[in-house]
Amino acid sequence: MRKGAGHFLDGPRLDAFSKVTGQERYAADEYSEEFFWAGAKRALVPHARLLAVHTSRAAAHPGVVRVLTSRDIGGSNRLGIVRNHQPVLVDEVIRHAGDPVALVVARSREALSEALELVTFDHEPLPGVFDPEEALKDSAPRIHEDNGEGNLMRAVRVRRGDPDGAFRDCDVVAEGVFETSRQEHAYLETEAGWARVDEGGVLVVVASTQTPYRDRKEIAAALGLDMNSVRVIAPYLGGAFGGKDGITVQCLLGLAALNTGGVPVKMWWDRRESFLAGMKRLPARMHYRLGAKKDGTFQALSCRLYYDSGPYAGLTGEIMAMGAEHAGSAYRIPNVNIEGYCVYTNNALGGPFRGFGVPQSTAGMELIVGMAAEKLGMDPLEVRRINALKAGDRNCMGVELKYSAGFYDCVDRLVEHPLWKGREAWKASAPPWKKRGLGVGCMAHAIGYPALIPDDANARVELTENGTVRVYSSVPDMGQGNAGTYLRIAGEVLNQDPATMEVVQPDTDHGLPSGTSSASRTTYTFGNAVIEAAGGLKGAILRAGARSLGVEGIDSVELIPGAVRARGSARQVALRDVAALIDAGDRSCKGYFRTPYDESTLSIMYLGAHVLFSFGAHLARIEVDTLTGRIDVVDYVAVTDAGRVLNRSVYDQQVQGSIAQGIGWALMEDYVMKDGRHETGDMATYIVPTSLDVPDMVSAAVESDETTGPFGMKGIGEVVISGCLPAIANAFHDACGVRITRFPLTPERVLSVLAGQGEKA
Amino acid sequence: MVDVRVPSSLDEVFRLLREEPSARLFAGGTDVMVRSFPDTLRRGPFLCLERVEELRGVNESATEVRIGAATRLSELIASPLVADRFPLLREAARHIGAPAVRNMGTLGGNVCTASPAGDTLPPLYILDADVELRSLTGQRRMPISAFITGPGLTQLEEGEVLCAVVIGKAQGFNFHHFEKVGQRKAMAISIASLAFAARTGGDGTVVKARCAFGSVAPTVFTSRVLDDTFSGKTLDRDVLERAAAIIREGVDPISDIRASMEYRRQVAANLIMRLEGAGKDR
Amino acid sequence: MKRKISFLLNGSPVAMEVDPSRRAVDVLREDLGLTGTKEGCGSGECGACSILVDDVVKLSCIMTAAQLEGRKIVTIEGVGQDGELHPVQRSFVERGAIQCGFCTPGMVIAAVGFLKENPDPTREEIRAGMSGNICRCTGYEKIIDAVEDAAAKIRGGGSGG
Repeated sequence: MRKGAGHFLDGPRLDAFSKVTGQERYAADEYSEEFFWAGAKRALVPHARLLAVHTSRAAAHPGVVRVLTSRDIGGSNRLGIVRNHQPVLVDEVIRHAGDPVALVVARSREALSEALELVTFDHEPLPGVFDPEEALKDSAPRIHEDNGEGNLMRAVRVRRGDPDGAFRDCDVVAEGVFETSRQEHAYLETEAGWARVDEGGVLVVVASTQTPYRDRKEIAAALGLDMNSVRVIAPYLGGAFGGKDGITVQCLLGLAALNTGGVPVKMWWDRRESFLAGMKRLPARMHYRLGAKKDGTFQALSCRLYYDSGPYAGLTGEIMAMGAEHAGSAYRIPNVNIEGYCVYTNNALGGPFRGFGVPQSTAGMELIVGMAAEKLGMDPLEVRRINALKAGDRNCMGVELKYSAGFYDCVDRLVEHPLWKGREAWKASAPPWKKRGLGVGCMAHAIGYPALIPDDANARVELTENGTVRVYSSVPDMGQGNAGTYLRIAGEVLNQDPATMEVVQPDTDHGLPSGTSSASRTTYTFGNAVIEAAGGLKGAILRAGARSLGVEGIDSVELIPGAVRARGSARQVALRDVAALIDAGDRSCKGYFRTPYDESTLSIMYLGAHVLFSFGAHLARIEVDTLTGRIDVVDYVAVTDAGRVLNRSVYDQQVQGSIAQGIGWALMEDYVMKDGRHETGDMATYIVPTSLDVPDMVSAAVESDETTGPFGMKGIGEVVISGCLPAIANAFHDACGVRITRFPLTPERVLSVLAGQGEKA
Repeated sequence: MVDVRVPSSLDEVFRLLREEPSARLFAGGTDVMVRSFPDTLRRGPFLCLERVEELRGVNESATEVRIGAATRLSELIASPLVADRFPLLREAARHIGAPAVRNMGTLGGNVCTASPAGDTLPPLYILDADVELRSLTGQRRMPISAFITGPGLTQLEEGEVLCAVVIGKAQGFNFHHFEKVGQRKAMAISIASLAFAARTGGDGTVVKARCAFGSVAPTVFTSRVLDDTFSGKTLDRDVLERAAAIIREGVDPISDIRASMEYRRQVAANLIMRLEGAGKDR
Repeated sequence: MKRKISFLLNGSPVAMEVDPSRRAVDVLREDLGLTGTKEGCGSGECGACSILVDDVVKLSCIMTAAQLEGRKIVTIEGVGQDGELHPVQRSFVERGAIQCGFCTPGMVIAAVGFLKENPDPTREEIRAGMSGNICRCTGYEKIIDAVEDAAAKIRGGGSGG
């Protein structure tokens, strides 16, 4: 581990000032003297053959600039990361209600909204399929004719040991089927962007995106442009959580801008369109079986996971694979049979959402662990301690944990927690009509991409001619604060106050490709690259400083804020003067880092497995109102091993924000669709927690030293969310003695189960 | 483009209404404006009543309290008169939306929207509130229960303005209770709500009680039989279970994205159980 | 159809020709260039567009331009004075209440309005007072911390209360 002195890592967020004063300019805030509005005509039918698009009435609207259809697209008209099959504008088949069939460019938002109603299209309805298990039947309507395996998008099957034999020898077998909901990101800034073709003929797209470098390739291919004539800029995002991991407005905006003669174009989806056309967390149905010996040791796990992809591949196959990889969570289980299926349906687009498939399978695992503990008659924390993965153990994929693994300590902290120790007295003092319970949810979450996809980053740190330090970020800041953290890391290495430094937000013209803002990698991977780049710059500065001060060797000088000083003396030279001594090219230093991976895991599963994990253990105290069925989360304790904590405030932001989203997913968030129609349509029907629905939370850190991490850290962005739903669901069982297996735990489901009427829809 | 006028007197309102009889009235905009804005506004023109002086404020006469229709919910909540006389109404208003919504939304708006989920309506039914309507040609007054005729439907006629809600001072209740079931604790639309007011003796014996439920029928659900169940009784489990049975029988809820008919029926009946042991020593 | 409206915006008089049915949030962001006021839902459900209208917190996405007439409007750009952050803003920065920042302007406005009405709130009252402003990043805890801290600052005689 590279230890920092800690001078500059902690402190308030460096982006806070511009945000708290309203000065920060998000993609949604781009305007200019003259610009046009672009908007898509959405299909609103889940599955149909598109026969004709009628644009003439809209084109005749006086406020309309252009009405564009698939015929106006010069490139492949196909988006995709693994499979390129999602049309920018539908040319043949509509596969979900949010598919766009035409693009209108207008002079005002009012004209745009009127013109969109004037666009009509002819279509031949096709039978749709809306349930992943139904979609796998031979008789199911096919969503992609050219897909070799019907509607199966991807399958992952991992078998270790002898699960069948092991189950026979188990003293206790717990079994259950669990269903989790389609969760909407509901970031406050809906999908937004701005595009224009500049004087040099380059298409410049400013977008609220987590993935500028990947976007550039997709835009170029879909629209038939050379990659070098596309530039993508990613300002601070107004929230993303995975929902902007890929193309939203970018290609439509690009297409519009190619048709306006240089006038900039703005696209900003309203909330309804964001819900209709945006990605969602994949709903999952999970069949779980867990076998254990009387002593509590897990012997065998068998599970079948069905993830609903929606109509296009996007990253859904990878999401499901990640879920399958974590199906055994943070436990030693020698015999496993894990099957994961990702299936096309005509539902909403599936896509990344904080946790990337892991919250689903972790819910399944932690619920079945809760059921097994009950059958064993054992304390739920004790069962988890007995089976907890430790460094050197093999996880359910058979991957040996060679890196930091503080999971056991996380569980141990809960065992000692006063809320846990005092649980019986607290439960016994429930007020009238209330039942109280405590529940545990534990988790692991891999850092970075799987083995086959290099998880790497290229950072650039520069000493400007003014003697200030500038960091080129290539990984967007969607709100997690990584841009400021990069400054702090560079400041720590260079002993410079980050407040005097500057960060340049991702711009494909300035930075170098460094992957995406996702996968719990933004600080881990890019931060390491920043350390290397800053280290290189430090050498260059010290060399020039030493020469300037007339002393021998870089060991005789040191960097102090704003200057290089001769050690043991007061003589110093300002960085501004040092900068003048360094060749412009040498004032800019690059750093590269690739996250650890193990090629041998490629034989285990699709894309290979991960080797580095964060861990956590959660405790929820809940109160169930037996009259209304409402669940209140009264207390919440999250213990996390995400390595060293570089900045406590930024760390806890991730913990607390994840818990709130996890509580929402557990209790209220459910994007409802019926036969491909969106029943949920706005923020009045998609219910996310308010400040009254989330308790004060306790966040504790088990700071294992991750020697590969920047100053010892690992990713904290995703791991936490996975524990919430199972902790709350297990607490519900503790309170009421019955289980609910379909989520969220709405008052209606709760009341129905309490009345002995089963779980209604 | 659609006109929006913001008159400051009733005279001006009626003058504008004469020019534009189809104009849509609104005050806070929290119902009318929430639908996708451009679509709403295409159905204008609009008359915004938020500044009409005669429609604002809480006043009292010897026997009645008059709450101007354009009184914002936050003003209603802050009114000492309302807090003193009609704590049930105040409590219900506190459960609407969140502060900014209550700073915009008005009592008159909640009444005229006539949503089954309007949270001030159950208390207004219990308090036997009247609505005061005016037009260019006259004025009329009627009980709120007569004014609201169905979901989103009222007796308000073209050219007519709801000016005030008038409530008699002598209510004679010494106990009140309001509970709302929503999908979360703020910014929630009622799935079911219970307003309850009673006059009880020191031992908790109910002299008279009134019950009203929101969101479980096309309009507020009240029942004389239900109210009579409590008379002369204490709020013990037996009485409440009998009341719950009447509620289960009497309500007529719908299923929508927020909840099913079955849940609404069950939870409405359950809500009454919360009163067990209440009303003593008041 | 345009009509002239005049109002006081962040302390300065504004007179403009505007379609009276235009949303207040669009007037501020597009016509006046004050993009600090955000739009999150367009239907009064999230609080991102909060502004102060005669010192009262209102939602500019469900307000028409006509309703601005004669009012004293404060947007996030007008919170704080003479380049100094308002105590609420300082507390938001110091207490880590800001992540993506898109809800922040509305949160700050809501907190300023709330603390004017309730200068010495309990934590539960703060939770209720801020309950109309959705934040999807923070889980609210640090926002509640910040408002609690700002209340203390203002009571302690900080500027701008």
